[in-house]
Amino acid sequence: MAATTASRGAAAKWVLGSPLILFAAIFVAYPVYQGIQTGFFGLSLQNPEVPFTGLSNFTTVLTDPGFLAAARFTILFALAVTALETVLGFGLALLMNRQFPGKRVFFTMLLVPIMIAPALMGVMFRLLLNGDIGLVPALLHGVGIDISLFAPDTVVPLLVLLDVLQWTPFTFLIIYAGLQSFPTDVLEAAQIDGAGWWRTLGSVVLPIMRPIIFAAVFLRLIDAIRTFDVIYVLTAGGPGTKTTTMSIYIYKTAFESGQFGMAAAASTIVMIALVPFVPLLVKRIVHPGRGAA
Amino acid sequence: MSSTANISTRTPDQLGASRAKAADNSTGKTPGPHRSKHRRLWWTTLAVGVVAVIVNVPWFNALIVSFKSDGDISRGALALGHPTTDHYANSLGAAGYDFPRFFLNSGMIALGAVALVLLIAVPSTYAAIRLGFGGRFIMNASSALRLLPAIFFAVPYFLLMSNLGLLDTVPGLILANTFLNLPLAIILLGAGFRDVPIELEEAAQVDGASTYRILYSVLLPILAPTLVAVSVLVFIFSWNDYLFALVLSSSNATPITLGAANFVTSTGIRWGDISAATVLSTLPPVLFAVFAQRFLVSGLSAGAVKG
Repeated sequence: MAATTASRGAAAKWVLGSPLILFAAIFVAYPVYQGIQTGFFGLSLQNPEVPFTGLSNFTTVLTDPGFLAAARFTILFALAVTALETVLGFGLALLMNRQFPGKRVFFTMLLVPIMIAPALMGVMFRLLLNGDIGLVPALLHGVGIDISLFAPDTVVPLLVLLDVLQWTPFTFLIIYAGLQSFPTDVLEAAQIDGAGWWRTLGSVVLPIMRPIIFAAVFLRLIDAIRTFDVIYVLTAGGPGTKTTTMSIYIYKTAFESGQFGMAAAASTIVMIALVPFVPLLVKRIVHPGRGAA
Repeated sequence: MSSTANISTRTPDQLGASRAKAADNSTGKTPGPHRSKHRRLWWTTLAVGVVAVIVNVPWFNALIVSFKSDGDISRGALALGHPTTDHYANSLGAAGYDFPRFFLNSGMIALGAVALVLLIAVPSTYAAIRLGFGGRFIMNASSALRLLPAIFFAVPYFLLMSNLGLLDTVPGLILANTFLNLPLAIILLGAGFRDVPIELEEAAQVDGASTYRILYSVLLPILAPTLVAVSVLVFIFSWNDYLFALVLSSSNATPITLGAANFVTSTGIRWGDISAATVLSTLPPVLFAVFAQRFLVSGLSAGAVKG
């Protein structure tokens, strides 16, 4: 903050900052406090007495097989979709990184899935996959495949595929935008040195693009870990609890079982698990250096 | 801003060009490298085109179903008949659904969130970047907040809004979406303010302009593209919110995302009507993707890299 002009606006900074202070106090700081605090109480819709229960909500959550299964599913799901979307997005970005007929139209079309609400995407997926009137079962039937897409052994790959369908355009966009600020002279130098295409990719492009790829991986991972909308609309976490993510677990604990204390404890545990990553990410994402800007 | 503004039309062509050149150098034996390059471009068109169509299959499918009659829909996905616009008339009010109200709610929530986000983020980010308000803390906290899962705030926001008497109200959802989008706005505006040469402000100051005057008359016009990018993104993200709508609204303030999802999970689905409603509710974001593309791309990629 070298640009700070301390000479002017000693009062102005508080005037201009006051809306944020007011909002952050009521709608950020207080909810954070209440979110953590609620975990220590037996607050539920059935029990308005609110007894202090200490750490018992936390031990209940941590020993709940449902919570552990949700944590496991969420992490595996997030890793799978992030890996696939990063590789596919990178490939697509390389493919798009030249002039070809129709580029503008396709670029626009690739942006559309990112813009559509995940919940509405869930509705459209249901329409597409519906056993009676859906396009996908009809086409599969046409080639002699009759399977239930939402059966226990197909539902997880299906959800991974649908996530890849919606979010590969996002990793593509981030990596493609990064490619636009790629130093051309480095490529020419590599070429003069006689490096082939794959060699150039591995030894020049990937190292320089690392911060961008890291940003894409990280943003997808964070969003995939909090996945809620599409899966909730499609399966509501089922069959059974097979596709219950952490977010769905917390939502159901709070608003279907009415156990606010338990849900708040689970939220706090999730937050504590993520907090150690924050400084690292703030440092690498917010100040990634010139190469990534 | 201008460096990322028209990404789709700019042609640095780097990796592709170098690849083509490398191929030209090594293909002394094959005649007509020009033609092979040309053919490769058409292969690129084909490959990218297939991907661009596949990722939009859900939307195209919904669009087709929305124009099919109920009879044609029930005859299966591959049956096509005479197109009808009945479903659009139904979803816009003819059949007595609540969709018109859901659309209205979504619009009010999204516009309200845009206004409130700008009202809070513009002055405070300026104060943070130029006047030393909160130092680095505000920028870092904004980044950190964006990383925490929104579900953490579901229970506290439910309790807070019920204490404030704002459950199932449009203002309640405006406040929630303001909270959700404020970090992104602060990050984008922070980058915008930082890019403005400080000499401009110093010159205005010498001319006797007050701090408020400088912000309003000098900086905001320069930052107009950033303000548009922030507005577009906040509008889309608020329009698309589902989780907080599910937690904080039950009927009066229900936005279209929740309304459509509830409709589809209830029994006896009218697929034609729901498809029409869904296509209509994806239109604002899709139109932004087409007509405000440069703001979206610059906002999304800058927000991604810097926040």
